[in-house]
Amino acid sequence: MSAKGLSDMKFIIDFQPQRHWDWKVAFYLYGAGTSAGLIFFEVVLRNLDMIAETTALSGMWIGLGLALLSLAFLFDHLGPASRWRFLYVFRRPRTSWISRGAIIVTVLVLLRLLILFPSIPGLEGLPMGEGTALGGALRATVLVFAVAFMAYSGLVLSSWNSIAFWNTPMLPMLYVGYSFLAGIAALPIIAALSGGTQEVGPIGPVLQPYLLGLLLVNALGLLLYIWGMASGTLPSRESVRRLLRGEQRWNFWLGIVAIGLIFPLLAMSSVSAPILVTACLAIQIGSYLLRDAVLRVGVYGPPV
Amino acid sequence: MTQWGFTVDLERCVGCQSCVIACKVENGTPPGIHWMKVLEREEGEFPYAKRTFTPVRCNHCENPPCARACPTGAIKKREDGVVVVDQDLCIGTMSCMTACPYYVPYRWDGDGGYFGAELTPYEAEKYARFKPGTAQKCHFCYHRLDQGRPPACVEACPADALNYGDRDDPDSRINVLLREKKHFRPKEELGTGPRLFYLTGKGGGTISGGGSR
Repeated sequence: MSAKGLSDMKFIIDFQPQRHWDWKVAFYLYGAGTSAGLIFFEVVLRNLDMIAETTALSGMWIGLGLALLSLAFLFDHLGPASRWRFLYVFRRPRTSWISRGAIIVTVLVLLRLLILFPSIPGLEGLPMGEGTALGGALRATVLVFAVAFMAYSGLVLSSWNSIAFWNTPMLPMLYVGYSFLAGIAALPIIAALSGGTQEVGPIGPVLQPYLLGLLLVNALGLLLYIWGMASGTLPSRESVRRLLRGEQRWNFWLGIVAIGLIFPLLAMSSVSAPILVTACLAIQIGSYLLRDAVLRVGVYGPPV
Repeated sequence: MTQWGFTVDLERCVGCQSCVIACKVENGTPPGIHWMKVLEREEGEFPYAKRTFTPVRCNHCENPPCARACPTGAIKKREDGVVVVDQDLCIGTMSCMTACPYYVPYRWDGDGGYFGAELTPYEAEKYARFKPGTAQKCHFCYHRLDQGRPPACVEACPADALNYGDRDDPDSRINVLLREKKHFRPKEELGTGPRLFYLTGKGGGTISGGGSR
């Protein structure tokens, strides 16, 4: 069937799960959020001289690629019929969070490109390299837009009261926390890709306290979010049931909790670079599955 | 200016689906898209079980969440309060579908009809009005309203369960019904200001809280 909406639902007065925002939207929220978290930590940690310039530069390119890949998934979700009309998405930032998000992610990608230009052979002379006034201003601006995008990835869901499970200020906070976590967890993976375990060795001890703190904060945030929703309205309680005991229980307990939180927490006590990189990959899996599961368990209450 | 409103008498609806078929015939909506729906619920247990019917359609809200969510401005309110989709502006983000607490809008991706890939002459003519990849929803049969005719669903209802009229005219049919019968608006507490009223019994006056929140 080529229509999306209630067409795949039963015509009865009951809870109706949303199905039209699928894994592609989840990947967009995860990919672009993680990319924003990554650039945030790259700029901050590089400014504090805690990570190597090669890692920071590789991270910038990989983060840019991740953001563009996420956007490609989003365009695919719009369907081939939209073509160039996607440019209309910028028309209503006054009322629409989708429009605001499109503006934020576009500015973020452009800022990142400007920061990366001096690293391209032949463009080294551009006045926005590390240590220049313009470079500093660009990096400060990118921090603001990175945080704005991380918040947006939750606000776009929480701003609507149609789906009670999303309609809470806890969701943007949780998504900001998870974007920070997945962003910083991407750094050891990037270091391993760019320089092998030798590159991971020095940054491991630097990042581990931050990773540990963010894992604990996000575990607490997830607990508070689900606890709050479990004592909420009937549709939000139904969503919690679907998440913990229903169709998404494996995603939640195995993917989000065991792989995404408990294993990385246990792995933080290890000083081994391969274990750290594996834990960071597990964090990425948990972070994606959180977005996916939150979308899938969103249910509408009866329309009357 | 006329401000259109709509009433559904839940005591009168017998679940015959005439409104659903009339809407399909009038607007020729593609497979899987139902601008008018009659939702069912079974209540009680044998031997006292009964089935109730609730016609559902776009409520043409005073404060439509779909229009606020739309990033392109494709969803607009006419001066008479009818909420319509401009298919030339819609890019198919489905944000209206997510934002609508009544899950009214659909997106049609444009492949095939009721009898497979090849369209019947009726389908070919009707579907030409629908742009693939855009949001679709009830437009209150505004083409009929503009000619002074009732929406197709209202005209087809054999039980007189559906009615429409001008909210600003105290003597309009729906304002008379609202004075005569108890009524509520769906999920009014969400602040959407639906222009659809469900009538539930004699006596007049508002019944608070029809939703699940």
